[in-house]
Amino acid sequence: MNVSNAETWLHGINPSLKLGVLIVLCIVALFIHDLNYMMNITIGVLILFLFFTGHSIKRILLLSIPFCFIFISTSSAMILFGQGETLWFEWGLISITEESFMRGLLVGFRALFFAALGLTFSLTTRPVNLFYSLMQQVKLKPKYAYSFMAALRLIPIMMEEFQTIRNAMKVRGFERGKGIRSVYFKMKSYSIPLLSGSIRRAHRIAVAMEAKRFTDTRDRTYYYEFGFSKMDHGFILYFIILLLAGFYLSIQFPLVSI
Amino acid sequence: MEPIVSVEKLRMKYPGDESLIFKDLSLTFDQGEKVLLLGPSGCGKSTLLQVLSGLIPNSIEVPMKAEKLKCPSSWGYVFQDPDSQFCMPFADEEIAFVLENLSVPKEEMKEKIENQIRNVGLNLGHTSIETLSGGMKQRLAIASVLALEPEVLFLDEPTAMLDPEGTKEIWDLLKEVGKDKTVIIVEHKIDHVLEFIERIVLLNDDGQIIADGPRDTILSLYKNEMREHGIWFPGVWDEYIQKYAPTREHQFTDGLPLLDVQGFSGFRNKEEKIHVEELKVHSGEWIVIRGENGAGKSTLLHALMQFIKTKGTYELLGNPIKMVKNPTDHMTFVFQNPEFQFVANTVYEEIAYSLRIDKRPQQEIDERVRSLLKVFRLEAHRDKHPFQLSMGQKRRLSVAASIVIDKKIILLDEPTFGQDSKNTFALLEWFEEYRRRGITVIMVTHDEHISKNFATRIWTVKGGNVISDKNIAQAGFVETKVKRSVM
Repeated sequence: MNVSNAETWLHGINPSLKLGVLIVLCIVALFIHDLNYMMNITIGVLILFLFFTGHSIKRILLLSIPFCFIFISTSSAMILFGQGETLWFEWGLISITEESFMRGLLVGFRALFFAALGLTFSLTTRPVNLFYSLMQQVKLKPKYAYSFMAALRLIPIMMEEFQTIRNAMKVRGFERGKGIRSVYFKMKSYSIPLLSGSIRRAHRIAVAMEAKRFTDTRDRTYYYEFGFSKMDHGFILYFIILLLAGFYLSIQFPLVSI
Repeated sequence: MEPIVSVEKLRMKYPGDESLIFKDLSLTFDQGEKVLLLGPSGCGKSTLLQVLSGLIPNSIEVPMKAEKLKCPSSWGYVFQDPDSQFCMPFADEEIAFVLENLSVPKEEMKEKIENQIRNVGLNLGHTSIETLSGGMKQRLAIASVLALEPEVLFLDEPTAMLDPEGTKEIWDLLKEVGKDKTVIIVEHKIDHVLEFIERIVLLNDDGQIIADGPRDTILSLYKNEMREHGIWFPGVWDEYIQKYAPTREHQFTDGLPLLDVQGFSGFRNKEEKIHVEELKVHSGEWIVIRGENGAGKSTLLHALMQFIKTKGTYELLGNPIKMVKNPTDHMTFVFQNPEFQFVANTVYEEIAYSLRIDKRPQQEIDERVRSLLKVFRLEAHRDKHPFQLSMGQKRRLSVAASIVIDKKIILLDEPTFGQDSKNTFALLEWFEEYRRRGITVIMVTHDEHISKNFATRIWTVKGGNVISDKNIAQAGFVETKVKRSVM
């Protein structure tokens, strides 16, 4: 899997700070019930997502597909079946009212906001950097940080093993089994070797780490050191301005009138 | 002189096992000694190495007792599996991890990392470990161990997963970097190790030391014990071939070819990874596929098994492969890692599995399974779970389960990899017996001895092409070159 890309200013933001801002923004978004305001700040995040992650626009659009789907599915449920007074359209169970339409859009934009924010974060943050920064800024125990990083290494290995097991099952005439019993059987035959392999591998990695004198003390040095810079101020400022300007614009120049 | 590592009256036992692994074992090592621990697989050599380094009981909890145990204060440990000794995604980060553990200041790290990487003959900076070959991974593992600046090196079969080329390179490197250190080694394939060490400790099945002394004395006095325990001592192949000379005659050339491929390519991720101009395979052949790591040997097997997308003409028993509903009805495949193949809860059911899918009558199943259990020396373990077997037993079981229904062709990927000599010879003899019955054996192997003594035909793969096809009859061989094609 090749996900190399150019580095942008978003990569330079302190990862812990980035994570913190992201969590705060998600909580704030939960309390926004004004559609115009929600739309404005979603656009602000989409700008970061579309233009500042350093990934090609093709990959960005590809990654957006599932989130457009989330947007449509979350909002449409609310739009089609929600309750309201001003009726626009009715057909059987489906009734679209003005209130349900607006609330539907609000829920949809909120979902889009979470998705864009999360993707922007993960596209601009290497897991290794995140854990190093968490150890340094948030004082996460090295034990947890390094075990997460080691676990990330196991994922591609497991994917390869899964392919091998599939081929092996083909050889044994596995595909020919039918019915529920066979489904249960299949699940068992895939998961047991995969799990046992991973557990054994994880144990070996753990022993190898301790053989390299890994201990859970905090007085270790770091290959990557993370601090704060002007860019971090800029990052926070961006969102403060976004929240304020979004609020102002939603009142002065609402995109939709409610 | 005070010994650098020593243990006195060591007793230990794995939880759940009935007998002790070690009973009152005592062993000492002096500074600067290079020692090889030899013994049958499963005798506890690796466990002993872990005790001597202190990994047991500090990192791996196994109940143990010793009257005196002196572990070295500064040591490094190289493990056998290249894939499971790193915790970071990039090469430089892995060595940095060691330096961080030692609290080396950040400013000194860069230079130290570069030095260590250069020391082991690698030329990489910020390179993803995933993209490295097995040999390069082991080099990196050695580099990260050297970053500890150890006085004692523990080597636990560091080349078990490497091809002959990689094995030689790693040992050359270890000889260089281990010159002025104490080195304690566990290894099966000992030809490259012998010139490096001066002392051998020989263990038996019960974890007792049966001999401990200078290399040459042990090698000349304990040949029988080593042969019995399946240790690859120098000359074991010559001895074996004198006793058991494979005939390599080939009497089935007439008739339709089993496999017939022309202008045949195999694709991985839409990229052509293997190309064959023309090859015909007849029954009763033993074909060895040779080539460097990454040349496309396994890919060729996968293409023939239809695990990957292929193009071109491919006829199996005279039928185009697209018309054959289940290629696996006619061919079978034995994977490098036998564990991936196991589907059942007991050894017995494992072998019976394909027969049950085929809805054979119970009596036939029982007869067939019993006979295979006997041939593959697994009767005593028939009710065990396949995962409880030793590596050699697992390999035998995977072969038995794959051939339970007679197939015309057996494809094998490195079947003798990491096996001791006893298991290797037993497996080869079974394959030879099948071959004489007209079954075709196609195997990827690095073992020169197999191509020299068993193969009737050798394919060489290079850069994704089959570049030569040698037919070896008993009375010399006829070489037919395959047209080279450019990718």
